[in-house]
Amino acid sequence: MQADAHTLAVDQMRLGDHAFAHYADDNVRWQVPAVFTQRGLGRGEKVIIMGDPAVSADEAYQRLTAFAGPAEQARARGQLVFSSMRALIHPDSTFTARRQMSRLREETARARWEGYAGLRTFIDMAWVPDLGMDVDAVMRREKTAGGLFTSRRYAEICSYDRRNFSPGVVEDMRVSHPVALLERPGQLEAWHSAGEVHLIGDGDLLTRPQFHDAVQAALAARAGGWVLADLSRLCFMSAGCAGDLLRLIAQADGYDRVVVRCSGLHASTLRHLGAAKVGRLVLDELAEDR
Amino acid sequence: MTCVLLLDMFFTAGDLARLRRCLTDTARLAGLAEPRRGEFVLAVHEVTGNAVQHGGGRGRARLWYADGALRCRVTDDGPGFTDAAIPAALPAPDFGEDGRGLWLARELSDRLDITGGAGGAIVTLEFYLAVTRRDTPGLASAAAPGAPARR
Repeated sequence: MQADAHTLAVDQMRLGDHAFAHYADDNVRWQVPAVFTQRGLGRGEKVIIMGDPAVSADEAYQRLTAFAGPAEQARARGQLVFSSMRALIHPDSTFTARRQMSRLREETARARWEGYAGLRTFIDMAWVPDLGMDVDAVMRREKTAGGLFTSRRYAEICSYDRRNFSPGVVEDMRVSHPVALLERPGQLEAWHSAGEVHLIGDGDLLTRPQFHDAVQAALAARAGGWVLADLSRLCFMSAGCAGDLLRLIAQADGYDRVVVRCSGLHASTLRHLGAAKVGRLVLDELAEDR
Repeated sequence: MTCVLLLDMFFTAGDLARLRRCLTDTARLAGLAEPRRGEFVLAVHEVTGNAVQHGGGRGRARLWYADGALRCRVTDDGPGFTDAAIPAALPAPDFGEDGRGLWLARELSDRLDITGGAGGAIVTLEFYLAVTRRDTPGLASAAAPGAPARR
């Protein structure tokens, strides 16, 4: 799927984010929730996994921890919980958006009362056919759930299996969520807009060719004036990618200035690798990493 | 000497992103604060990436808490290399393709040692923790890895 202004890597999700995720592969499907869980536990947040109803809690735990490492202690103390949409809305047997959002507010308050920084839930949308739900009603819920997130104590991923939902539904869901996640952790996507290139995900050994090509394409326009390379959604940047960026900027004779917007760590990496020697480079260092 | 194994992972290119996340979480639990935590992950990535590219496509990363520092040892089955493989000074940004990764890893580390030979490279990095931990609850003890050889 094409990256755009609201594409983000799961690593950068925070409380207050309402995100769309997607998969079409049974190995890939656990990677996003694994990182989501790992990050949430690390930040002192409670995590509730509402996986595919056809997958048992123990199997879900095994699949998650195979990618992200063990979390027995978090599970034992109730910081990591495996549940289901059916259990969430119990004793109701029919899903309503009102009931679901009311219960999620209760669970968020409970997580706070238990001493956690907030609550994050991962919801595999396989529950929709399981409860015999009308997709249109679910779409309405997704578009009107904003109130759950305003306190920034709750975050949610709604994950869609592209094999079970039509392309139209999946795209509508992607667009209607404030955040659309990359399909896999470690992936890199680029989004180009007028005079700007936005790099999202990880720039490392595997994704270095994409990183190089995206920056090169942005600088190839030779539009004069300035161009922005936005690395604020780049989770990781290797020395190879940083070196490519500096080299391409040094060779970008078509521009007076190339602005690199980035985290403190990325700015530090670029400085270590000689940013000061690239005259047209301007580092726009963000005060706070996402 | 206090020495506790925190992480032991074999890797190929496809595991590097997962390894970085494990290193980040383990370093945070061990008490390594930002921005040094990000620099630690970057430095180890450069060494593991070097093992993938030049050391036979795979390697092993082990991380210990050792006397107030995080010590990471990366081994591979490649032809091995010495300090001479790392440029003494950084090439200009518009010149040269490689060599920056290990150079940066050495710059960022409090200590970096390279040993080994025909059987493969052994690169050991150390990052000092600001506050020495006297206990490491919940972490599995392991045999002491021994102090890395000095250059």
